[in-house]
Amino acid sequence: MIEALPPAASASWRARLARPRALGVVFLLALCGLQLLADTPVQSWLREGWFDLYQRAMPRQRVSAPAVIVAVDEKSLARHGQWPWPRTLIAELLDALAAFRPLAIGIDVVFAEPDRHSPGRLAERRPDVDAALARELKRLPDNDAVLAAAIKRLPVVLGVAGTYDPGQGLPPRSKAVFRADGNPLPSLWQFPSALKSIDSIDQAATSRALLSTDAGSGVVRRVPLIAAVASAAFPALSLETLRVGIGADVIAILADTNGIESVVVGDAVVPIERDGHFRVRYSGHDPGRFVSASDVLAREADAAMFERKLVLFGVTGVGLLDQQATPVGERMPGIEIHAQILENIFDRDFLTRPRWTRWAEAALVALLGAALVLAVPAVRPLHSSWLLLLEMAALAVLGAALFRYTGVLFDAALPALSLNVLFGGLLRATLAETARQRERLRRELEAQREAATKIAGELEAARRVQMGMLPVAAQMFDGERRFELHTYLDPAREVGGDFYDFFMLGESRLFFLVGDVSGKGMPASIFMALSKALYKSTVLRGLGDLGQIMWHANAEISRENPELMFVTALACVLDVETGELAYCNAGHETPYAPPRAGKSVSRLAGGGGPPLCMLEEFPYETARYRMSPGESLVLVSDGVTEAMNPAGELFGRPRLERLLSAMPATQSAEQWVNTVRDAVREFSAGAEMADDITILALRWLGKQ
Amino acid sequence: MLVTTKRYADVLVVAAAGRIDYQNADEFKAALMPHLENCGAGRDQVVLDLSQLDYISSAGLRVLMIAAKEVRARQGKLLAVTLQPVVREIFEISRFTLVFDIFDSVQEALAKISPLALAAYESKSP
Repeated sequence: MIEALPPAASASWRARLARPRALGVVFLLALCGLQLLADTPVQSWLREGWFDLYQRAMPRQRVSAPAVIVAVDEKSLARHGQWPWPRTLIAELLDALAAFRPLAIGIDVVFAEPDRHSPGRLAERRPDVDAALARELKRLPDNDAVLAAAIKRLPVVLGVAGTYDPGQGLPPRSKAVFRADGNPLPSLWQFPSALKSIDSIDQAATSRALLSTDAGSGVVRRVPLIAAVASAAFPALSLETLRVGIGADVIAILADTNGIESVVVGDAVVPIERDGHFRVRYSGHDPGRFVSASDVLAREADAAMFERKLVLFGVTGVGLLDQQATPVGERMPGIEIHAQILENIFDRDFLTRPRWTRWAEAALVALLGAALVLAVPAVRPLHSSWLLLLEMAALAVLGAALFRYTGVLFDAALPALSLNVLFGGLLRATLAETARQRERLRRELEAQREAATKIAGELEAARRVQMGMLPVAAQMFDGERRFELHTYLDPAREVGGDFYDFFMLGESRLFFLVGDVSGKGMPASIFMALSKALYKSTVLRGLGDLGQIMWHANAEISRENPELMFVTALACVLDVETGELAYCNAGHETPYAPPRAGKSVSRLAGGGGPPLCMLEEFPYETARYRMSPGESLVLVSDGVTEAMNPAGELFGRPRLERLLSAMPATQSAEQWVNTVRDAVREFSAGAEMADDITILALRWLGKQ
Repeated sequence: MLVTTKRYADVLVVAAAGRIDYQNADEFKAALMPHLENCGAGRDQVVLDLSQLDYISSAGLRVLMIAAKEVRARQGKLLAVTLQPVVREIFEISRFTLVFDIFDSVQEALAKISPLALAAYESKSP
């Protein structure tokens, strides 16, 4: 998914990745820590909501039916009247159940006050009953005594309700014998006391059990299987009914170093959480669990439903109470939740959340988060969001598979949220970094442009200075009628190494010079300025003939030349009265004398020596030439002869000679310069200018 | 521009081919100068074989000048062999003929400075 990048971009590319990745790592560590250590309400809300989704999507299948619910349902209320029923009716119901020989009966009711339907109490409440009848009624058995007698005949577990009031008298005790590793009580759900049935009924029961369920969040996910009532362990109705049903005495509470992990009754090992709560693995509401109390009373119930079963008795009639919200999305009577717990225990079908799940979740956040840290800054947002989706799907599938096949509750929601938060952060950081890099590049470009402008400005200034150093013939020789002198100098760059000079020595001697410093551009231009100045001062010292001047100039210019540059120079002195020309050529292009009347071009060779700075103490010689009136001389630098066309060909000396021959010998100095300049321009059009170009033309007009 | 070297006994023949101008003068200098370090009186002599050189600009001439100064400072000898008319003309105009001893062939140059090298040269190229 990583896009191919040009190698040149890879360095800045890596730099662009570094910052978002570093931020991502810090962010990821924080998220892992949060995952591992913190347990905020938001986190548990999200986690529990996710576990509810598992339950709803994959509800448990009922396998066994260890418990049957005898329910005071609508039908029972319709036939036997409003709840609470007279306790004689409940006694009758118990007697009817006794015929089915159930293993145990758990009663999800607290008979907290004496029955007001008892005949004696009825008589007391009705002043219109005559005294004889009242006496008769009071002699009849008390309803509570009837129920107590019925209870006594059966293995009945009576409910108590945990209360936060201290209550009156001694708090009730369960009949279960607890064995525990260490002291489990402090971690359990605590009740200072409990509301129990009136003594006559309470004492008839085989045992007592706690009815309270923990519905703090509104959804009953966990039910306390063991709680603490007045500092004594107390079993829930389901667990105690089971214990009584299988005839066990002991409930063992097993703990490891981290606290309670399970309870054991008979051969049933039931995993519970540290606070004694059991996570119910729900199936949906199932009418098959229920038998209507009225059917039992009418002796119409199927005996097979009760054989060797645990019976739970409770009230389900709508409007009475006790419809609980469950994770499977249905409300169901509290008594059905107790039945479901018993099913979980019998089928050994438990939901657990072992301690390692938290570490595994954090580890997966670290692993999948690391992949995001690597990927998000490097690939397009679309691609990295696909990666995020893939990771979230993997988490969901893993969680669902663990739930389905092992009952382990693996939280995919919080890790997925962490990954989303990380992704968002990484994306922001990446975009910010991209913007930052873009801004940096823009600034760099701006700075470069500014620098370039500055250098260009300085070069332009240098060019003006250099050009200003060259004399202007039209000014210097204004009104001169003995000769014409014209020049042209065009550096290949802004500044160059070519130069020329001319001035009068006295009234009748014209000194002129063309020079060329090796190389071009700024280094050459600096040496050119030095050479020109030194040469002129040497000439003005009047040290003899041109050869001797050249010798001195060689010594002067060579003196400070660490870069080992060299200078070619062609120096001439023309006696403008006689046309007598002295010249000395130090490695420069020879001067051309355009042909006169049928002659060919002549080149003024002879004399001279190597370029200046080449050989110290070289004895330069002066050569001489006599000019005819009207004759011209053309001096050039090698920028002319070595000008190149786009094909790479040189302008060359033969071409220059042909050009000079083709022109009328009598044309002016300015015309000679223009002729050569235009020819070179035309020749090298389209090619890069290779070297500085200098042209100097002199026309001697003869004795006036 | 291509610089190659061959050794014949105590003479190092450095051959430059192609064009040397402003663009590659520094490159030429970098290729040439290391070969001059071992030359000197009683040690190596250097012959510049420019027979395959098509063109040399003033920037190239400057490198030759620097080379000549270097060798002279080491009391050594630098000889040049040129054949091509263009290069010969450039040498003549710039008077580099006054700086270098110029020969028409490598053989001639070797004959002038080292019989040993000449023998080695002739045995290698029959």
